[in-house]
Amino acid sequence: MREDDERYFERMEERLDEAFDRAEAARAQGYDPQTEIEIPVARDMADRVENILGIPGVAERVRELEGQMSREEAALELVEDFVDGSVGDYDSREGKIEGAVRTAVALLTEGVVAAPIEGIDRAELLENDDGTEFVNVYYAGPIRSAGGTAQALSVLVADYARSLLGIEEFHARDDEIERYAEEVALYEKETGLQYTPKDKETKFIAEHLPIMLDGEATGDDEVSGFRDLERVDTNSARGGMCLVLAEGIALKAPKIQRYTRQLDEVDWPWLQDLIDGTYYDSGGDADEDADDEAETDDGEEADGEPSEPEGPVRADPASKYLRDLIAGRPVFGHPSESGGFRLRYGRSRNHGFATAGVHPATMHLVDDFLATGTQIKTERPGKAAGVVPVDSIEGPTVRLANGDVRRIDDPAEALEIRNGVDEILDLGEYLVNFGEFIENNHPLVPASYAVEWWEQEFADAGADVQALRDDPHVDLDTPDPRTALDWADRYDCPIHPEYTYLWHDVTVAEYDALAAAAAGGEIGDDGLLLNRTDDVQRALERLLIEHTTVDDGEALLIPEFRPLLRSLGVTEDLERQWTPADLSERARTWGAEAGDADDAAVADGGRPSPPSADPDGGMAIRDEEGDSPDSSDSADPDAAVDDAITVEGRDDDHAAPSVALPGTNAIEAVNEVTPFEVRERAPTRIGNRMGRPEKSESRDLSPAVHTMFPIGEAGGSQRDVAKAAKDRTDAGRGVIEVSLGERECPDCGEHTYKNRCENCGGHTEPYFECDDCGIEVEPDESGRVVCPRCEWEVESPEERVVDLNAEYHDALDSIGEREGSFSILKGVQGLMSANETPEPMEKGILRAKHDVSSFKDGTVRYDMTDLPVTSVRPEELDTTAAEFRRLGYESDIDGEPLQHDDQLVELKVQDIVLPDGAAEHMMRTADFVDDLLERFYGLDPFYEVEEREDLVGELVFGMAPHTSAAVVGRVVGFTSAAVGYAHPYFHAAKRRNCDGDEDCVMLLLDGLLNFSKEFLPDQRGGRMDAPLVMSSRIDPSEIDDEAHNMDIVRQYPTEFYEASLEMADPGEVEDLIQIGEDTLGTDDEYHGFDHTHDTGDLALGPDLSAYKTLGDMETKMDAQLELSRKLRAVDETDVAERVIENHFLPDLIGNLRAFSSQETRCLDCGEKYRRVPLTGDCRECGGRMTLTVHRGSVNKYMDIAIQVAEEFGCRDYTKQRLEVLERSLESVFENDKNKQSGIADFM
Amino acid sequence: MPQESHRRLVEELTSRGYNAEREAVTLLANAGDPELAAEAAADAAGDAFVVTSEHAREAIDGGLLDRAPESEATPDEPSYPESAEGAADIAEKAPTDMGGADDPTPADELLAGEDGSGHPDVSSGAEISKSQQTASGSGVEGKGSGGEDSSPSSTTADDGRPSPSSTTADAVGSRSPPAPEIRNDVTGQSTGTGEYEEFVGTFQDRYDRLAGLLRGRVNHRPAEAIQSMPGGSDAEMIGLVDDIRSTASGHWIVELEDTTGTFPCLIMKDRAFAPLVDDLLLDECLAVQGTLADDGGIMFVDSLHFPDVPRTHKPNTADRHVQAALISDVHVGSQEFAQEAWDRFAEWLHTPEAEAVEYLLIGGDMVEGVGVYPDQDEELDIVDIYDQYRAFAEELKKVPGDMEIVMIPGNHDAVRLAEPQPAFTEELRDIMSAHDARFTGNPSTVTVEGVSVLMYHGFSLDEVIAELPEEKASYDHPHKAMYQLLKKRHVAPQYGGHTRVAPEEKDYLVIDEVPDVFHTGHVHKLGWGKYHNVLAVNSGCWQEQTDFQKSVNIDPDYGYAPILDLDTLDMTVRKFV
Repeated sequence: MREDDERYFERMEERLDEAFDRAEAARAQGYDPQTEIEIPVARDMADRVENILGIPGVAERVRELEGQMSREEAALELVEDFVDGSVGDYDSREGKIEGAVRTAVALLTEGVVAAPIEGIDRAELLENDDGTEFVNVYYAGPIRSAGGTAQALSVLVADYARSLLGIEEFHARDDEIERYAEEVALYEKETGLQYTPKDKETKFIAEHLPIMLDGEATGDDEVSGFRDLERVDTNSARGGMCLVLAEGIALKAPKIQRYTRQLDEVDWPWLQDLIDGTYYDSGGDADEDADDEAETDDGEEADGEPSEPEGPVRADPASKYLRDLIAGRPVFGHPSESGGFRLRYGRSRNHGFATAGVHPATMHLVDDFLATGTQIKTERPGKAAGVVPVDSIEGPTVRLANGDVRRIDDPAEALEIRNGVDEILDLGEYLVNFGEFIENNHPLVPASYAVEWWEQEFADAGADVQALRDDPHVDLDTPDPRTALDWADRYDCPIHPEYTYLWHDVTVAEYDALAAAAAGGEIGDDGLLLNRTDDVQRALERLLIEHTTVDDGEALLIPEFRPLLRSLGVTEDLERQWTPADLSERARTWGAEAGDADDAAVADGGRPSPPSADPDGGMAIRDEEGDSPDSSDSADPDAAVDDAITVEGRDDDHAAPSVALPGTNAIEAVNEVTPFEVRERAPTRIGNRMGRPEKSESRDLSPAVHTMFPIGEAGGSQRDVAKAAKDRTDAGRGVIEVSLGERECPDCGEHTYKNRCENCGGHTEPYFECDDCGIEVEPDESGRVVCPRCEWEVESPEERVVDLNAEYHDALDSIGEREGSFSILKGVQGLMSANETPEPMEKGILRAKHDVSSFKDGTVRYDMTDLPVTSVRPEELDTTAAEFRRLGYESDIDGEPLQHDDQLVELKVQDIVLPDGAAEHMMRTADFVDDLLERFYGLDPFYEVEEREDLVGELVFGMAPHTSAAVVGRVVGFTSAAVGYAHPYFHAAKRRNCDGDEDCVMLLLDGLLNFSKEFLPDQRGGRMDAPLVMSSRIDPSEIDDEAHNMDIVRQYPTEFYEASLEMADPGEVEDLIQIGEDTLGTDDEYHGFDHTHDTGDLALGPDLSAYKTLGDMETKMDAQLELSRKLRAVDETDVAERVIENHFLPDLIGNLRAFSSQETRCLDCGEKYRRVPLTGDCRECGGRMTLTVHRGSVNKYMDIAIQVAEEFGCRDYTKQRLEVLERSLESVFENDKNKQSGIADFM
Repeated sequence: MPQESHRRLVEELTSRGYNAEREAVTLLANAGDPELAAEAAADAAGDAFVVTSEHAREAIDGGLLDRAPESEATPDEPSYPESAEGAADIAEKAPTDMGGADDPTPADELLAGEDGSGHPDVSSGAEISKSQQTASGSGVEGKGSGGEDSSPSSTTADDGRPSPSSTTADAVGSRSPPAPEIRNDVTGQSTGTGEYEEFVGTFQDRYDRLAGLLRGRVNHRPAEAIQSMPGGSDAEMIGLVDDIRSTASGHWIVELEDTTGTFPCLIMKDRAFAPLVDDLLLDECLAVQGTLADDGGIMFVDSLHFPDVPRTHKPNTADRHVQAALISDVHVGSQEFAQEAWDRFAEWLHTPEAEAVEYLLIGGDMVEGVGVYPDQDEELDIVDIYDQYRAFAEELKKVPGDMEIVMIPGNHDAVRLAEPQPAFTEELRDIMSAHDARFTGNPSTVTVEGVSVLMYHGFSLDEVIAELPEEKASYDHPHKAMYQLLKKRHVAPQYGGHTRVAPEEKDYLVIDEVPDVFHTGHVHKLGWGKYHNVLAVNSGCWQEQTDFQKSVNIDPDYGYAPILDLDTLDMTVRKFV
């Protein structure tokens, strides 16, 4: 670790210590359930593991083992320690097994997630049919968060412990084996599994597992076959068990095998059969395999016909991301569709770790549906990504209503012209970093030609790039056309990307036609003037050549025409220098299907037809059908052949012999015509659609909770404490009966529900008295409280009468608050914790006063979408260089001293940027904490925040759902984007990536003061989402290794781009580009996170997605469909189909089904009945009854669905499904004898 | 047996698309020539579906009968005046022909396809029938080559009227079945508008009618009254099962509900009838006799009664030897539609062996439908729902035109899923107009030749099979599940689960009168047997195993046609695969 890193951590820990001191002083007063701070600090993973599990001695042993072996091996090593008792203090054999299994899972999940404590309920010893003992491990749903490997290894660990303890293997009964198969299938149906083993596979595993997997029921549906088994105490699916068996054992068999081989005591020979799939009955299986093989063979043969044409290298379109399209969340591009996002390689400073860089102008042009942090489901390389604004890539290209085509690189311009956009011809570039391909193990896809690649090729060709860059008259990124052409001519180097058009998106015939049109045009002062024809216009639009429409739409004016002319093989005197016959066969047929090419030879061009074998796959054709005179019979697969001839025929100037031009991709032709090389501008298009919108909002329970004090039904549905305290009950004003935990003062023996004895000021402890025999019981080590005489669990809560009125006013008085200082104080109906320990009401009053509310564990939280950032400018964070220097930042990314607010500085790993909403919320929390310290605990305030700048440098907790460990972060600035920007390692330490994940921040001292395990719900999952431990410093080796796959360089080498053209495996070029993994364990592990692309501001583009600002679902859907019409890369009919298919139809069908099998409900007492009571009225209270599903909710989407289907030309299949449903609705809801008359009856 | 003239008249009316009231038939039959009478009545009835006695009188009084014979040709099929002319004669002869053609072949020996096409005595009556074949087009195209070349007459008329080809004495297929009578059909009577009160009404009707069946056996006291009876009293109650739960000690509590409230009934696990609890479904009707507990809060049940079918039930039979084919689940449009089997079946119906098969009762799922399950379009042979029905109509045309055909819809059909399901809409009926088939709701009671057949698609069978013990109901023995429905006297007792109910003014799903035959489909398994003398038939399907069925290991019984002797209620199952 470098010195300044050490200083950074020390500086943070200093502040942490200050907070701890203050919090300790406060808690020592005894007002809280515990007198100590309940979030211990863990300095490393070993600490976290120990703290989460609460098994002393684990940390030390883990540290010992860590240096010597892998984590998995350490987990196995620890089993021996547990068994011989050197770690953990367990007497029973099942206890030892349980401890070992939990520890293994904790180790494998870096002590962050809740799986080891919440996902494993217990291990127990049961009896086999032959009387021997076996081990049963009881799993629960939260085991999911452990991931497959840890789940599988937990079984292995249990088995290892079993064999060390000399316990017999589990022998499943036949019905149990069948039950496993049925149950896994049921769970898959109910909840879904990443991997679902076949029944045979499940049975094979169940038959051979030496450990019984069991668990608690997680679903409502029951198995139908193997019910009421003696050793399975539920008929529902046991989710935890299913996960371990399917996603653990079945999916990770090869991984487990690595470890079973190392262990002499554990022998799972059946794993090999599982891996090989040789557990099937030999007969049927062989046939199946043979069939499969035959099929593949056929397939291959078909593909590999001798005349396989050479063609452009492209990744296959993948449409999986379009599944489950949601109404109101638009599609931005269909799979690999021309006009969609163009993949560009690189990492922007706010990018990487499952994010996608999009130009802010694009965000505005897609009607603001994309904002910073909006999740998109994407075609590749991953499944989803968080959107980040990057303005150093190319923006979108649009055709305006007046016919002008413009590329928009400025967000302000985008907003200006947005209303006049006729069609979005191209969504602009889409930045994806190399690391994404490693992480997803996705083959590289062909790279767009971009300036960073060209520059290297230019240099290789002999140009002095450095000198040119220093020359103030030369702009390397956007040189003027003459310079660019000159460079291309002088050096043997491809033409600059700025003047590389998208030739691969036009057909060879179109290229030929455009050359002809150019030759027939004229050059004026403003540029090249061409006769407007549909073909010419379409070609220019696909090439993304900016132009305007002049002469009442009769002509097109291209201002920057020289590179175009050169690419078209037309001189500046407008003389065409080639004929189609000059092109090689290869160029003429490039991109055409093999069949088309063959046809070309024999085609005799009888039918006139427009160009249709276009790279759009026929989709864009429909858009043009309306205005193209001869497009009535398009979509003919070999139309391009005919078209070639048609075009040729039209072009009378050239008396060249007629040559077929079936090629759908003109890039080869261009390269044959031009003297210099022209690279493919955008060979890879990435389709995607909107996923979740970004998030930035405080986490409030529903209804919100200010004070964790139970008031039962007294406060009404609002849980209004003031109202409950005022209302008169039988027992008196504000006297209510609620359940509260009983506590006893160890000093004076006073019994109370309060944490601090009102008698003597001592700190009380929960008091357990057996209801039956009345003896006092102490909790045992595991926290269970069992009456030794009655042998049942004893609980401390009891119904008691509380004078809430007094309680409330005493609380107000003690902190000197008046009722008017807050609008409402909300309590809870009842406490959900085991001991039902309430919180002092003063805390709630102060929360209400500062308008913050509490989560179930007593903390105040703010949720936001995670995004990564590795370098920042103080300016964009609404702070200053001076402030940054105060925080310990000394130099910018180039090593220059930090002096100016706009210098780019590399972010330190635990520094985070808060969105405006969070900052405001944190300020209120800080005020609340200060008030609490001063007025309640009588201590000095800690934060004293006047304005939000005062928050800079303060510490917060970051914590993700399903985990139990918080990470300390430091606030360094603010952003208007609705996301939490932080170092990717910070997110990874919380076990999040940035593909739309969200998590929360808490203010440090709020957590220390107010969090208590005593508040956590006494139920499965109760300890998830609670900060049971905190990491004060991030060790990059101990975080989710996904983050290590992020590339951290300034430039990708030429070799990388070239490898991408061959769709190389990312592993092949990994050595060329440094990734985070490469610096792990070195002095540089906290440094040197370079980026290839800059962005102007972290919060460019809209602050909020339109999805959040638009009103109801219908408005959103209208906007979604409207946008789909505008985007060239989107097939709006398909979108409409999917919306109907995924949204309207399920809604209609589901509601109709619900209607005809519905429950009914009493309007007066709320009692629900499975079926209408025969009495007609409520059986409980005689009140009026009503349906729970009404006609209105069943058919609310019927009309709009039909309208959308009509308007967007959906398939007959879809329309007919709607028709059938509409008639069903009529049949159910209309009286045959008294049909409602339609408007038609009056016409 | 109805008089011959009556029957011909009804036939004539049906061929024109009318049903007729009994009284109207009598009136018209007495008026003379049935052809002319029917024509006249049809004119009088105009747009109505049913010829009423009023129409009949109008026809007779209005002198419509005096019209010239040219008007015989029905307006929609003007091309066959000859055949229409001949029809009356043949119809007259038909009964005698049928009487003689009684030559049953043992079922096992039959593989109908081969037999039918090569049959020796089906070679005459060439000309007219040939021209008809050509004219009627696609109806015969799907058949084997044998059918078309060697025995044109084996396909009798395809246009839905009695065939002239059967003028020759030994010709087959001259059927003239009297029209079936249909009861309990919701079609056109669906008055529900989805209000709460209608749900109440439907279930009250269920309770009233099923309780009526049990009244003779117990002395029912309302729940409200039992609630106030002193502990230890004897009590008897009839109620719908509202809840079934087991106690910690393994006894059962069945909550019974009547129109005054509910009362819990305890069935001790050691009682002899305790196993019956396994057979109980929610919302079926039960009667219990027992003693109230000391605190009066619960009844200890001593005996348990189901509405059931009386053991003494004596089924009706036909007066003549006539047969009905009971089929179901044709699933036209599915990639797995068993075309060849269907063709063999249709062809067989044209053979002398099948001569007595005058009725074809189809128990729903004519087509595979659209949107029945996700991504169904990928597995459809015909994606367009109307094309599916058109294709089904073509398949139907292959069946002899002089058969009486009755169809109810199923869950794959394009009608509402909620039961009772009304018959197909006008639009679909027009498509399936071949052979003037009758369309009725699901369920319906169809009486043919005096034998009442309760036709129900069978959607509830899935739930019955899932809920009841294997030995009581399983996919391999679907008729056993049907026994349970008969016992409960309700085709879909359990509410709230899979079954979807559309509230109507009465509960059409109650089995009010004991049928002679109970015919269902839906589960694609063949099974039949008698329960208290009621023949229960689940008739298999015409769809081969689908991918879904493969995945859940269901092996459908396809290509079977149960043939029922209406005069003996004996059944033969013929296999066409």
